[in-house]
Amino acid sequence: MKSIFKSLLFVMFIVPSIMIAQSTVTGKVIEQSTSIPLPGVNVIIKGTATGASTDFDGNYQISANNGDVLVFSYIGFVTQEITYTGQSPINVQLAEDATQLNEIVVTGYGSVKKEDLTGSADLIKAEDFNEGPIVSPQQLIQGKIAGVTVTSGGGAPGEGQSIVIRGLGSLSLTSSPLIVVDGVPLNDGGVAGTRNPLNLINPNDIESMVVLKDASATAIYGSRAANGVIMITTKKGKDREFKFNFNSSMTFSNPTEKVDVLSADEFRTVVNSTGDAAAIGRLGIYNTNWQDLIYREEVGTDHSFSALGAAWGIPMRVSLGYSDQGGILRSDRFRRTTGSLNLSPKLFDDHLKIELNVRGMYTENKFANRGAIGSAVSFDPTQPVFNNSQYNGYFAWIDGNTGNQLNLAPTNPMALLYLTDDTAEVRRLITNAKLDYKIHGFEDLTATVNVGLDKSDSGGRTLTSDLFPTSDPTWNGSRFTYSQEATNRLFDAYATYQKEIDEKHNVNFVAGYSYQEFEFENLSFDSEKFEDGNDYKFIDKSKNVLLSYFGRLNYGFDGKYLLTATLRADASSKLNPDDRWGYFPSAAFAWNIHNEDFMGEDSVFNELKLRLGYGEVGNVNGLGDYQFLTRYTGSQSTANYQFGNSFYQTYRPQPLNDNLRWEVGRTINIGLDYSILNSRISGSVNVYKKETQDLIASALVDPFTNFGNRIDSNIGDMENKGVELAINVIPFQNEDFEWSINYNVAYNENTITKLPFDQPVGGISGGVGNTIQRHTVGEEPYSFFVYHQLYDTNGDPVEGAFADLNGDNIINEQDRYYKEDPYADITMGLNSNISFKNWDFAIVTRASIGNYAYDNVASSTAYLARATENSILTNLHSDYLSTGFAALTDANLLSDHYIQEASFFKIDNITLGYTWDNAFEGTNIRFYGSVQNVATITDYTGLDPEIIGGIDNNFYPRPRTTVLGINVDF
Amino acid sequence: MKNIFKTLILILTVGLFVSSCHDELNQSPIDPDSFTEEDVFATASAAKGALAKLYSSLALTGQSGPAGDPDIADIDEGFSQFSRMLYNLNELTTDHAVVGWGDPGLQDLHGMYWSGSNDFSEAMYYRLAQEVSFCNSFILNASNLTDPEVATYIAEARFLRAYAYYNLMDMFGNVPLTEEISTELPEQSTRAEIFAFVESELLAIETALLDSNEYGRVDKVAAQAMLSRLYLNAEVWTGTPRYNDCVTYSNNVMNSSYSINMVDANGNGTAYDELFLADNDTNGAQNEFIFALNFDGTSSQTYGGTTFLVHAAIGGSMDPTDFGVNGGWAGIRTTKSLVEKFADDISIPTFTGDQRGMFHTDGQSLEIESLTSFLSGYGVTKFKNVDSNGNPGSDSGGDFTDTDIPLIRLAEIYLNYAEAVLRGGGGSTGTAVDKINELRERAYGDATGNITAGDLTLDFVLDERSRELYWEGTRRTDLIRYGYFTSGSYLWPWKGNIASGSSVDSFRNLFPLPTNLLTVNPNLTQNEGY
Repeated sequence: MKSIFKSLLFVMFIVPSIMIAQSTVTGKVIEQSTSIPLPGVNVIIKGTATGASTDFDGNYQISANNGDVLVFSYIGFVTQEITYTGQSPINVQLAEDATQLNEIVVTGYGSVKKEDLTGSADLIKAEDFNEGPIVSPQQLIQGKIAGVTVTSGGGAPGEGQSIVIRGLGSLSLTSSPLIVVDGVPLNDGGVAGTRNPLNLINPNDIESMVVLKDASATAIYGSRAANGVIMITTKKGKDREFKFNFNSSMTFSNPTEKVDVLSADEFRTVVNSTGDAAAIGRLGIYNTNWQDLIYREEVGTDHSFSALGAAWGIPMRVSLGYSDQGGILRSDRFRRTTGSLNLSPKLFDDHLKIELNVRGMYTENKFANRGAIGSAVSFDPTQPVFNNSQYNGYFAWIDGNTGNQLNLAPTNPMALLYLTDDTAEVRRLITNAKLDYKIHGFEDLTATVNVGLDKSDSGGRTLTSDLFPTSDPTWNGSRFTYSQEATNRLFDAYATYQKEIDEKHNVNFVAGYSYQEFEFENLSFDSEKFEDGNDYKFIDKSKNVLLSYFGRLNYGFDGKYLLTATLRADASSKLNPDDRWGYFPSAAFAWNIHNEDFMGEDSVFNELKLRLGYGEVGNVNGLGDYQFLTRYTGSQSTANYQFGNSFYQTYRPQPLNDNLRWEVGRTINIGLDYSILNSRISGSVNVYKKETQDLIASALVDPFTNFGNRIDSNIGDMENKGVELAINVIPFQNEDFEWSINYNVAYNENTITKLPFDQPVGGISGGVGNTIQRHTVGEEPYSFFVYHQLYDTNGDPVEGAFADLNGDNIINEQDRYYKEDPYADITMGLNSNISFKNWDFAIVTRASIGNYAYDNVASSTAYLARATENSILTNLHSDYLSTGFAALTDANLLSDHYIQEASFFKIDNITLGYTWDNAFEGTNIRFYGSVQNVATITDYTGLDPEIIGGIDNNFYPRPRTTVLGINVDF
Repeated sequence: MKNIFKTLILILTVGLFVSSCHDELNQSPIDPDSFTEEDVFATASAAKGALAKLYSSLALTGQSGPAGDPDIADIDEGFSQFSRMLYNLNELTTDHAVVGWGDPGLQDLHGMYWSGSNDFSEAMYYRLAQEVSFCNSFILNASNLTDPEVATYIAEARFLRAYAYYNLMDMFGNVPLTEEISTELPEQSTRAEIFAFVESELLAIETALLDSNEYGRVDKVAAQAMLSRLYLNAEVWTGTPRYNDCVTYSNNVMNSSYSINMVDANGNGTAYDELFLADNDTNGAQNEFIFALNFDGTSSQTYGGTTFLVHAAIGGSMDPTDFGVNGGWAGIRTTKSLVEKFADDISIPTFTGDQRGMFHTDGQSLEIESLTSFLSGYGVTKFKNVDSNGNPGSDSGGDFTDTDIPLIRLAEIYLNYAEAVLRGGGGSTGTAVDKINELRERAYGDATGNITAGDLTLDFVLDERSRELYWEGTRRTDLIRYGYFTSGSYLWPWKGNIASGSSVDSFRNLFPLPTNLLTVNPNLTQNEGY
């Protein structure tokens, strides 16, 4: 990789600087309505690359010849053209562009005006982001974009978020979109010691997020873009006086929902009426609500500061952020410090643009023992928290023979929380340097080099106290430590040719090369005793390389007809040399109907654009490395084998597949963008169909022909199709009052169209090795595969009575059927913003329809035998009161009784703010309050209907959170 | 021009860099636990680690003990251990054992209603077929090494392959016979063809194996002992009785250096229980073990093996410390059919005579009212993780056991001999009686249990096999040989899922081939009845 930096230096040193003298034009650019000078306005001579930009005071200076056309452009304003006829100064007033058609959308290796887009891309700018207690960038766009589903993994601070765009894209590989931060594609793997690898980016640093949905838009990222792309652009320095922003907020989190279990008295009644004398004798006299004890109300704080401006002629932005959030599960905590620096100098008469970004993050996590969630559901409510046991006083079920905790007994939830200590620190750095060099003398051509580094370094440890309840007679505490170093290096080089010919033909051609390597190393140590050496050392180390060539041609004719064609060739070191290269083409056509003459000047349409796109994308993200090579795995020191008196490390040949190929997805997308009535109503409609072929899944293989019974193999096909609709309405708009509504709805249908054999997935608790879901042809992925419960005349389920679906008079595996799946058919977002004078109000709501969940808490804990088995008492889920089930059998576990519709409507957030303009000179202050997770409406009886993967078990409840904050601009 | 020149230099430089990166696509493993074929077969001593895997794939479940990097997919790793599956398929399906757990497919075994995709029969097929592939690959790669000890390694690999095929033949009947690893889907062979292959392999390696080997590795007596077992069952598998050959090879084994353990190291009155203690690799028992699986609480950890046999058998009022472990899993017990073989009047369950009857009766009922309640049926205390001095095994946490499992031990060969003599294989009835009395004297601690030639009947030998070998993984095979496994001639509690026992269809003498595999390999035909 040294050579990358050499190349970089080379680019910097060869840049020449030559200017051709002409007459000089000067002038000032101001904003039309306020007459405030506009700094940073681009002034170029039309048809050339000669340009300048305005300074702090809006002044510019440029050399021009008579007859040249000066073009004044600024993001968010209507571009003006003025022909130079010797007049000077040329002063210009720019008006704000209401149509937003000139918004710049980052599309990967370049950007285009929204009007020139041919693919399906949604831009969400900072002012439209969700507000509230947000520490993860994904949450900023939750509910904002049709077809983009963002779901948190639970209620812990800084929790991981799943993003799915237009339904699942793969069965066993990743279905998460590629995330690109300022041109650096991030590794799709997780980072040890953190719940969410994207937490490294402070949401306050983000300028905009663009979601590329269809393959014609994503194909430029080829093999990495199968599940869509999210382009994050961070805030950049601007050439103006420094401005500062300070934001500070306090967060109050409250637990809301709890699992419905028997109360102490209900439980006593059950044991007294059904248990034997020994069981009744074990009942305690207490009324302990374990779930009340493990959760708490918690306060958190968040502060951020940023400075944006130019110093020594270099536009820059510096930011610092600190967040300290406690979880509602006792002892859970997340602390994060972020820092970022952006330098955006322009040199050599703007021919060389340099963009340097450095983003660092340091998080300290304290992970509460989540075993306490399940334990609190099950622990006997008639027992006390403390009973002066040898386990630091915590009540435990003692084995009369050994004097230690019984082998099969659950551990006291409070002991789980307070006698384990699980902490981790993560440092992560993402830095990139991007150089755009407009070739002197050939200004239509820009050469770009982008060098990036994404490095994380994690360390964590789990200490378990020597007082921790356990059946181990020699228990002396334990210490488990781990570390991870992950490095992702990027080198991109590409050239962009941009030319407008005869004011009709607009050509933009990009061609380039990208090299990315991903390397990680995991270490872990496991020791028997507190701080006593390291007994074992596990190493997991791997590396893969992705090498790509790409090209894109944008051609626009007269602003009416737009054509985009891309091709990307990717090679991954994960695949064997013969199947390594994948070629991913796309083509798209768009018709700006509103620019047609027949639409007339007074057309009601500000925008009416029809889009048609086709693209192919690939996927091997999430596939293990080196699978096509014959490899032997050495045994760990605990799995050696004895010959004579010695133990030998053993070598196992690994199952291999030297025929692995890319998963290839082919998408067709038809879209319509519209904007009418002075953009008071705007939005888009998309219809798409995606066929993914050669899906990689773990495939059964004849073990006589391989070294195992499963290998990753290209065996399946899948189809996604759907419709998306987005509408933005501004029903009311005047100087004091504006009301806007954003509504989006998406329908997605996901069907497996080829799979040689069913794949059991969705492991559940209860028994060993049970799975509740299956991939099978003709169904959605992860469809629930269950027995059909029979009910008595009262509507209560009859234990062990299931429909004999195949009519062979035996109830067995063959009587299971497919019932629904965890993914919503329809998702909706409805958001509204109201501003009245200095007040602002926002509400964010979401709905999900047709998603189902399996209540694994009820299925594995609502049966009578559990109450008294294993010489202890164990609490039951309240579902027992209606089912009266006696025993845990695999058929009971897999009953459709526990599959419930989990459609929901959620009010995610309500925010109210007041802005105090000019509180001090040049200082604006905004006070705001918001409530997150306001209300959920659902028929689902479990804890929360919104569960990633649809299996509800020991879910960390999402708290209701109130935020009070202040935001100061000065 | 200058600019164009400089631009060209730029493009050239980038181009050179780009092409040099193409080599970076050829990545090879950088993990220190990952090895290439060249590493593993570089020397004889490195190859010994590959040989060790051929043994450990029967004893352990993967490369990370006790679990974490499994050999077999689609089943809980702990379940996938060979001797645990052998117990499930060959003991749990019989009068010897019942289990309380409700894991998928587990209750089906004792109830004899398993389907074509039973988790345990599938995983057993995968484990054994994988072992064949491991052995085939080892034999091919090791043959490039010329060191003399490698010839022995290869003979041992052929033994282990024959052992895997022996089990495949016993359980599944007609399976593919392949001696090389290839992606070409193999054809199915007949049971008789597998028999012929196993026989010819064992005969061929008899001389190549060492006369005696280090503990844990097989020698030529192991091949002879396998032949004894093979010929005893030949009539079932091929239709042709081979009892004469059984007598011959049993004799070879009986005349070898192996001996019945007579060292009562813990002084409890019998030398039988020493066979199943944590130090059974050193307390004298090892002299009787012809082929054993080695376990170690710290270096060879698994949730199968004796860790399973010890923990799973503990429940109710049993004290885990007596067994050298930290607790019980409250799973496996036995039926009264086994208990009755030790006492004529089982209302007085003292078992003072034949000390092989190692049962826990306190709090347990003899009759099995509920299969899922641990307290239904007597507990079995045969396997322990304490040594001859009563000290627990090497895992101070009490999770994993040291106790080794004999897959073939000399006592079985004595019983093979006696049965083959009775079935007309020649040999001497007198020798047969003497050999059985040798076992019974050890069991009783004295000669009070000895028999005479008049006592020696086929049914007596079968019962004696129960008493001597219960829970050691041969019961189903034995019952099939006697025609008792599926028929109504012999019933036991919950046979056929009926409390009093009932016959089941005779197709259950074979387990099904994994149903899903039939899709993968269309050359396979499912066993009749499934």
